[in-house]
Amino acid sequence: MKQRARSAAKRREATLKMPNEETLKVGVISCSGEEIAEGTISRLATRRVLELLRPGQAVTICLPLFLSGGQEERDFARRHPTIAVDGCSKRCAKRGTEMHSGPVNVSLVVSEILNGKCGGCSRSAKSQSEVDKEAIWRVSERIAAEIDALLAQNSQAECGEESDAACACTRPVPGGSLEIDGRTVTVAGLPLIFEHLAESGLAADDSSADRLLETVRIYHPIEPGEEQAYKSSLVEAYKHYRGQT
Amino acid sequence: MKTEASGGPTLVIPCSGIGKVHGLISREATYEIVDRLAPDTTDTLCLALLVTGDEEALAKVRSHSCITIDGCPKACSQKNVEMAGGQVTEAVRVVDAFKNHRGAQPGTATKLSEEGWTIVHEIADETARAIRGETTGGDTQDAQ
Repeated sequence: MKQRARSAAKRREATLKMPNEETLKVGVISCSGEEIAEGTISRLATRRVLELLRPGQAVTICLPLFLSGGQEERDFARRHPTIAVDGCSKRCAKRGTEMHSGPVNVSLVVSEILNGKCGGCSRSAKSQSEVDKEAIWRVSERIAAEIDALLAQNSQAECGEESDAACACTRPVPGGSLEIDGRTVTVAGLPLIFEHLAESGLAADDSSADRLLETVRIYHPIEPGEEQAYKSSLVEAYKHYRGQT
Repeated sequence: MKTEASGGPTLVIPCSGIGKVHGLISREATYEIVDRLAPDTTDTLCLALLVTGDEEALAKVRSHSCITIDGCPKACSQKNVEMAGGQVTEAVRVVDAFKNHRGAQPGTATKLSEEGWTIVHEIADETARAIRGETTGGDTQDAQ
């Protein structure tokens, strides 16, 4: 509990350092460790976040550039709230960033996120399998969630509020729209959820309703009373998506 | 090449630059070498470990010959290995390989195209031959 409080205080401190709108991008630094598959996952998950999940809301930098680059590179973590994404518990991205640039707000470790379920993962993209894709997906979703939290926290800091509640009016929620009981609901990352399910072979018919609901629910709150409406809407949206791809 | 001076496998260390396709090419060329072309005589090392000053990583680069593969002219891998006290016997630059592929569309920092993989194979083949002492490294650039 104390650790969480300290962590929250550290995040607040770092976000308050951000001077203006131009810096409202979260820095994501992956270790990209070459020796282990988790390093490859850290790199690819970071790329996925930058390109697909949170484009325009995140930036990255090569970790080794802190040592071989100039002052601009070294100021990276001072200019951006930063998430370190490490392959293993050595946490090189976190330690390297903090040694050469500035404190990180969030420290993620791929092996912990995957809970040891990356035994079949590969270092090279050439040997990439479904296991790798699933691992990259899970890690990138976690990074995206941390970005949302940091941006919301920053909005809150700018408003000068002390509440733990996120500032939903400015929280970015890029994604797909669903019609639920006559209202439009945005589900963050919905096209990517569909892409992932399509890749795993999920059929575009009514038999997929439970799987769709179960997957979307991981990233988007769904009240028990809304389940049926979500199922119908998700199946229709997924059919539409599959028709397009 | 001075691999005979090392006490074990040659370390092939890419920059793995995350912002450009060149970084991915450096990484995949490394895996091509250490996993397929010269698995018995080469190994790789996490560059991030050097950046953090990990003692084991420092000792390793100081006691083995190192080949660095850098995506861009900033040469992060070469510079970091040298700053760590390692001996860079060959500094490969991905950008040099592009001289033979003007106008190539190698893919992105996330995924390589066929042309990208072709460049990976060329760099890996050339470097593996240099490790075996067959060439001095074509488009590669000898470190000072």
